[in-house]
This record gives sequence, C-alpha cells and structure tokens, in this order.
Amino acid sequence: MNASLILPLLMCFAGALVAAAYGWPVLNWRVSLVWASRVVALAPVVAFAFLLDIASAVMADKPVVFSIAWLPTLGLNASLYFDGLSALFALLITGMGVIVVIYAGYYFSDDRSAWRFLTYLMLFMTAMLGVVMAGDVITLFVFWEATSITSYLLIAYKTTDDAARRGALKALLITGGGGIALLLGLLLVSGIAGGADFATILNGGEALRQSALYPAMVLLLALGAFTKSAQTPFHVWLPQAMTAPTPASAYLHSATMVKAGIYLLARLNPALGTTTLWFWVLTIAGLTTMLVGAYQGLKQNDLKALLAYSTISQLGVLMLLIGEETDIASKALVIGILAHALYKSALFLIVGIIDHETGTRDLRRLGGLVRHFPILFVLTGIAALSMAGLPPLFGFLAKETLLATAIRMEVGPIVDVLFPAAAVIAGALLLAQAGTLVFNTFLGQPRDPSLHPHKPALGLRISPAIPVFLSLAIGLLPEPEPLAQLLASAASASFGDKVKVSLAIWTGINVPLLLSLVAISIGTVIFLNRSRVRAWMQNFATGWSLDRAYTRVMQLIDRAANLITRVQTGYIRHYLFIMLIGLGVMIVWFRAFPSIRAPVSNLSLGDGTTLLRVFALLVTVAAAALTIFIRRDFLAILGLSASGLGVALLMILEPAPDVALVQIVVDILSTLVIVLLLTRLPAALRLRSSNLPLRSRRSGAVRDALISLGAAVVVAAIVLTALTSRPRQSAVTPYYEQNAKPLTGATDIVGAIVVDFRGFDTLIEITVFGLAGLGVYTLLRYASRKAGDVERADPRRRDKLRTLGIGGARTSSFMQLLAHVTLPLSLIVAATHMMYGHDQPGDGFTAGVIVSLAVGLCYVVFGYEETKRRLPWVKSGYLIGAGVLLAIVNASLGALHGGAFLAPIDFGERWGLSLPQGFHLSTAFLFEMAICLSVLGSASYIIDTLGHPKDHDVESDQQLQEIAALEKQVVVMLDDRGVEVT
Amino acid sequence: MELLFALSIGALFGIALFQLLRRNFSRIALGVIILSNALNLFLLSMGAYDGEVAAYASAAGQRSDALPQALVLTAIVISLGGLAFVLALMYILSIRYNTTDSDEVDRLKH
Repeated sequence: MNASLILPLLMCFAGALVAAAYGWPVLNWRVSLVWASRVVALAPVVAFAFLLDIASAVMADKPVVFSIAWLPTLGLNASLYFDGLSALFALLITGMGVIVVIYAGYYFSDDRSAWRFLTYLMLFMTAMLGVVMAGDVITLFVFWEATSITSYLLIAYKTTDDAARRGALKALLITGGGGIALLLGLLLVSGIAGGADFATILNGGEALRQSALYPAMVLLLALGAFTKSAQTPFHVWLPQAMTAPTPASAYLHSATMVKAGIYLLARLNPALGTTTLWFWVLTIAGLTTMLVGAYQGLKQNDLKALLAYSTISQLGVLMLLIGEETDIASKALVIGILAHALYKSALFLIVGIIDHETGTRDLRRLGGLVRHFPILFVLTGIAALSMAGLPPLFGFLAKETLLATAIRMEVGPIVDVLFPAAAVIAGALLLAQAGTLVFNTFLGQPRDPSLHPHKPALGLRISPAIPVFLSLAIGLLPEPEPLAQLLASAASASFGDKVKVSLAIWTGINVPLLLSLVAISIGTVIFLNRSRVRAWMQNFATGWSLDRAYTRVMQLIDRAANLITRVQTGYIRHYLFIMLIGLGVMIVWFRAFPSIRAPVSNLSLGDGTTLLRVFALLVTVAAAALTIFIRRDFLAILGLSASGLGVALLMILEPAPDVALVQIVVDILSTLVIVLLLTRLPAALRLRSSNLPLRSRRSGAVRDALISLGAAVVVAAIVLTALTSRPRQSAVTPYYEQNAKPLTGATDIVGAIVVDFRGFDTLIEITVFGLAGLGVYTLLRYASRKAGDVERADPRRRDKLRTLGIGGARTSSFMQLLAHVTLPLSLIVAATHMMYGHDQPGDGFTAGVIVSLAVGLCYVVFGYEETKRRLPWVKSGYLIGAGVLLAIVNASLGALHGGAFLAPIDFGERWGLSLPQGFHLSTAFLFEMAICLSVLGSASYIIDTLGHPKDHDVESDQQLQEIAALEKQVVVMLDDRGVEVT
Repeated sequence: MELLFALSIGALFGIALFQLLRRNFSRIALGVIILSNALNLFLLSMGAYDGEVAAYASAAGQRSDALPQALVLTAIVISLGGLAFVLALMYILSIRYNTTDSDEVDRLKH
C-alpha cells in the first residue's frame, strides 16, 4: 500500500506523456482536441479516485510514508508522505485538474497545437502533486522548483505575446529567488532536526525552536512561501501572470500553485510555530496582503486582474491563519482553502468563457451579458455570493470562522481590535468586488455595442458548474460527514493536535455573525457607490506602485551588471596581465616559492636517449619560438607543426607509443584545419593579416614580452618543483598494470585505461568531440548564413569546380593518384588499429584521425564538389551519431551481461568463434570502433565545413584595390625585412 | 633532465602566452596550440616512473607510467576539437568585422 503512493504521480506524468503524444501529427490530425483532453483527463480522474481511497485510510491521523533510498550515506531518501493535509491539497489538485483539462479542451478547441498546453498542464499537475505529497524537504524542493518552471511555461504559453513572456519571467524571477531562500531554510531545518524527512522534522520541533538559527530559518522559509503565495510585497507577479491562458490561471493562480506556500508553512507549523516570531511574521504579512489585495482588486478594470487581487487577499487571510495558535484558526484555514479553491476557480473559468465568447474581459466594455448567458449568470451569482461570504454558501462559513479566529486573538489592547477591524474591512471590500464582478458584467446596458457574444459550448459551461455546485452543496447539506473528517484531519496536521471541524452554517447569534453583518453592510454601501469609489481609487496615488519598485530593482541589477562589463576592457592581454599579477601576489602572499626537494637527476649527454630528448626539446621550443618571428601565416603554421612533431618525439622517447601516434596525426590534422581556414579568408584579409605589425606600439611588444617572460619563469619554477618532488611510486598505475590483462584482456595498458578503466570518461569525450564538430558546422554553415555574413553558394558554379583542387588550383594527376590510393590504405590501417589496438600501439582515436586525414587529402586534391561526389559515405552527422550510439549501446551490453555499465565482454570467446590470431571480438573492439566513427564524423565535419568553397570568390573592386595596395607593401617589406612597415 | 624539461615547458608557455597576446587572430590560434602542447608535455613528464619500455603488460623491464599517458591521449583529441571551434569563431568574427585584428572587433561589448 505504501509503495502505491507513487501511483498518482505516475498517473499524472503518464497524462503528460499522452498529451505530448497528441502532438504527433498522425494523432493530431485525426483526433479533435476535445477528445484528446478527455483522454488526458482520465489521468487525474484515476489519480483522484486513488487518492480518495487512501485518504480514507489517513483520516485516522496515521500518515502513510513511502521512501526509496537515494543517497543512503547522506541519509537522503526520495520519499512521499501522505496525511490529512496532503490529502486535502492532493484531492484539490487532481479534482480541479480534471475540470481544468476538460475545460482546456473546449477552450482551445480550434487550436490543435494546444497539445503543448495540455502537456505543460499535466507536468505542472505532477509537480504540484509532488509538492504536497513530498515526504522530505529535498523531494519537496525539487517538485517546488518544478512547479516554478512549468508555471513559467504555462504563463508564457502565447510565446509571441510580449506581455506574456514578461509576466512569465517576472513570476519565475520572484518565485525562483524565493526558491533559493527556501532551499537554504529547508537545509537548515533538516540539519538541525537531524533528518530531511517530515516525521523527523515534526518530532524535532523543540530543538528547532531552541536553535540559535531559528530566526534565520523562519525568515528564509517565510521568504520562500511568501514569494510563491504572492504575499505583499512579492505579490506583484500574480496580476501579471494573468497573461496566461485562462485555464492555467484558474488552475495555478487560484486553486493550486499559489497555495504551495500556504501548504509548506502549514506543514511545518507544528514544528516551527507557537513562537512570537512566527506569529508576527505571518500575521503582519498576511494582514498587509489581505488589505492590499482587497483594496487593489476593487479598482481593476480587467476581470482577471480583479480576481487575481482577490486571490492575493484570500492568500493573505490564509497566511494570517497559519500564524495563529488556536484550533479554530486551523479550522478556518482548511475551510478557507477549500472554499476559496471552489469559488475562485469557478469564477476564473467563467471569466475565461466570457473572454472566449466576447473577445474581451474589460469591465468598461462588458455589461448586460445576462441576455446572452443566462445560465452563466446564475453560476457567477452563486460563486460571487460565496466570494462575498454570504449565506448559505460555503464562503460564508469560511468568513465566519475567520472572524471567530480574529476575535479570539489575545495580543494586546489595541491590536486586539485591529485584527477584527481589518478582517471586516477586507470582507467588505471583497463583497464589493464580487458585486462589481456580477453586476457590471451581466446586468445593466451593454457598454460596447460592437461586442457580439457567441454561445459557449456545453462542455465550457459545465466545467464551472461543478465547483459552484459543490460550494452550494457543502453550504446547504447538513454536515457532510466524510468531508468534515477530511478537513478535521487536515486541520489537525497543520495544528499539530486534534481539531474538530463542524460544517454547520448556522451557529446562533454570536459576535462573528454580528461582525459579519457589519462587513456586509459596509460592503453593500461600497458596492452601491462602486462607480464613484472605483473612480476615486483609480485616481488615487497613481504615481506609486510596487510594480515600479520591481522594475527599479531589475534596473538596478542591470545597471550593476553594466558597471561590471564596463570594467572589462575587452583586450585579452589586459585580462592575462591581471591574472598574472594576481598569481604573483598569491605566490608572494603564501610564500609558495618553489623548493627543489630531490636532487636534479644527472644530465649525461653520453646516453643516446637523453641526447635525443635534448634535441627534441630544442626542436619543440625553437620551432615554437619561430612562429613569433615568421610573419607569413602559412610558414608560421609549418613551424608550429614542427614543434608538435617535436612533442611527438618526446612522447616516443617516454616511451609512450600510443600517445605519440595520436599526437602525430592530430598535429597534422590541426595544421590542415588551420590551413583550410586561412584559405577561406578573403585574400585581402589574409594579406592584411600577414602584414599586421608585430606591435601596435613599441612599448606594447616589450610589455607583452615581459609578461610572457614572467609567466615562463613562474611556470618553469612550478614545473621544476613538481617534477623534482613528484612521488616516484604511483598509487594507481600498479593497479592498472596488474589488472589490465586479467580484467580487460588488453596488453596495452594505456588502451585498457582509455577504453576500459576510464571508459566512461572516453564516452563523454567522444561526445564532446562530436559536439565540437557539430559546433563548427553550425557556426560556419548555419549561423553565419543566418546572420547574413555569407551568401549561399551559386549553384551555377558547381560544374567549374569539378576537377579543381582547393583554392581553385588544378592538381597534378600524380596527386590525384595518391589521393585515390591513400583512402583505402587509410581504411585498412584504421581497421588494424581498431582490431589490434588493444595489444599494440594505436587505438580508435588514431584510426579516426587517420581516415579523416585521408578524406582531407581528397578535399585538397579534388576540391569540394568532386569529393562530395566521390565519397558519398562520409555523412558526418550520421557518423557522429552512429559512433556515440554504438558506444552507449556497447556500454549497455556490459550492463546487461557483464554486470556493470561498460563491463568488458569477449564475444568471440563467449560464442567460441574462430577469429584471426590476436583479434578479440569484444566490447573493447566495439568501443574503439565507436570512437573511430565519432572522431571521423566530427573531423570530417570540420574539414567539410572549412573545405566548402568560399561563397563569394569574386572580390569587390574595393577589395581588389586593397589587395593591390597591400601587395606593393608586402614586396617592400620582403625586400627589406628589418624595416617595420607601418 | 628535470631542469631542462622545466625550462622548455616554461619557454613553451611563455611563447604561447606571447602569441595569445597578439592582435592577430591566426597568432592567437597558434598560441592556443602551443599552450596545449606545453601542458600535455607537462602532464606526460609527471609520470612516476622513468620508463625503459612502453606500458605493455607483456613487456619486461621498467614500464613507463601509463596513467598520465592515457590522460594526455584524451587531452590531445579534446584540444583538437576545441581548436576547431575556436577557429570557426575567429573565422566568423573576421568575416563579420572584415578584419583579423582582435582590437578592431569592439562591437561585442554592450
């Protein structure tokens, strides 16, 4: 039974998958959205029924807990917790979910792309259900953030609407910022209580309240809850979130998401509550929010904004109630939650219908709609009565209990009066709001004759009728026993002790009733004078709003960011300079001067290897140094290539044959890549580039040289320290050496490490390398074309390019023959590398790069079009995909048969195949093949993109003149090398 | 030998840095490659053993240290990918600004 707690979550998620599947064109064309939404609605229906079933079990105040070990060493579980409070929320979420999904089907009925909306909605439902069923703070936080993200998607559903995007971002920034505070608070709570699960936290109340960090905890948690539940001053996001499609508003912004903060604080109330701090924080926030929402709501012209503010007001009431420490407060809390969810979602759904059928929800344009929507008028009237807190509706009960709580508070002589007074004022304003909503929309004369309301579909009208009916039924029926039990169970969970809930409306003439009468009379007076009051409100203090404060904060952040970017000069040399100075300061500060611990080993030139090493080092450094002085780019690149080969020689002398092989082929390939790129640059640019003076000012080169020299000295000192004090006995290598053969069957230890011991690393590496290739392709072929940098190649030029090599030069037949022969040879070499790489030098990387080099040669010799024609099998994207996919499948084979991801299996041995000597048909071989494929794919992408014929070979007149001028300069320069040309 | 290695790696590093500080894109690209060479060499020279034979399980004698070799092997390939990407970016910049002088690319700010 406990494990089945996860079922409702899975159902809702399955609903999201079904909704996403509806996006598949085959289904999308054949099935109407109304039907799709009905199928999707089955998910919350099943979840609701199931929750109802377990809810009856938790009525006895015995929470159901289910947990899966997640990080047992840290004491972290992914767990679920289900008691009366969770049940109330979970039933609301799934129950309202059914109504909203069906409603959304009709609401978007002519828009088949609304599968997106249904998917987001179901994802949100899953997340929200997760919040109220989470059994520990980490799970709660994860779902909490998921609701922020999914609600962002829902608010910004109309992606082309600027206001919707801004509203969504605002909601995300505020609730996301609160989420960070919440995380800190939750971590503090779980740290002090000694466990992340709610059972531990609720038992650790004493320790929590005594802790010195208690105020920090309360404030952080309150910040998280206040931002989510739209408490003043964080409420500013909610009215703007009304840009969401109405079904989302009805669901997220009345019944579910905005109550997440209420849920959280109610959940933690038994552990954290009963202190003065808790009381004041929640009471002040709640009271302010209640009044601000009630006041602001009345002056709105937009029906949804009006509802949003009345929601804010109601959220303030709920927040206030959590802060009180009386059983009647928790009773008022649960009744308030249910009553509000029922009437407010109904009103939202009705406003959605009005908006849908008339095209507006502006109070200044609506009026007299009763003639068109008589049934809707009745429904609105009942829901509004509940909102206004009039009998015999459920909302009346909610208000009565609130007032009863207000007069029971004992905090001081003046404040005692203040609370009931505030409750009365807010009640009066809410009544006026409800009246305005009904009368200005449905009664009176139509204010805008251009409106032509359509008749809403039956499904649209039924949806709001259900919550309205429930509001009425709960108010009228005498004591629905199961409901009272559920509410009592929820109230007990938030109070921490048994609470009795009675749902009788009539409790005799008492103080709350009298206060209620006062509120109703004041409200009626305001309502009757509504046009004057609203006009006055709309002109009062227009210059000041919290929205402006939000904008100001955002501007400040922008300005701060701007200030920081101003500090950035944009010159790499400045950054490097500062970094080096910083490094120097750190060295001096920590006195981390190099200390050479072991004697430097002897340097006897008599030994042949040592002599070779010295030679290789000299070549490497000298060739690298030459690249500074050689002015022509091509020559400098050749120098670089020589330097790379020097490094390869050092690797051979290590001896590290595998690495040396890779270094050699990669060195050649990088040279090729740079050369290809330079040929793509327009000739004028290239010339100017060669001609670019070594230094802009004389002092510049000196400064750079000094920086470099300083860095060189520091690095040399670091290297020397590291080399002389390195351990001469490795801690890991002996393990690899001993186990390479028995565990992986490889003689080549380096190969064994790459494809086996550190195989996962390699798997990620080939993915990254593949992405680099894709990145180059995207940048040069797609992004630059999109940005208008490069025009599309002229198709008429294709024929001309046929037999021309790169750069348009005709290549000799000898070169062509060479290219013909090289490719098959390279394939054979690559195959042997892959087959025998496990016991011999060479591996998949080398194989991949060798084949790409051969392909590159074809590009150089035959030119782009011809190579494309000759080598149709080089499909880079597919190769990368195939390589990575093969690597993952291959690694999973190990998981299936070898016991672990990437575990080695020798298929040849397993199946008793007779294979060539030394060749093992194993996962290692397949992995090498995968490496080779993806490296080939990525490298050929790079070569292909860079070898693509230049899209505009013909230089403009201006460029030609520039070239001519520059060529003259170059000649001068070459004649007289010592002289700087400026 | 250690001293010689240290000096060479230091020198390579200095050269790479000097190239990185140039205004010319192609020089910056050269600097990137030299830098990765210097670092690979450093990593390789950090092996614990003075190898006489290559790191093969079948070889007799003092084997060279296989671990840094495996790390360097991956690093080489990754730096090729990184280089290609950097080059592509530089190409786009030089086409868009019609220059290969990094000082003339100044409209990325703000």
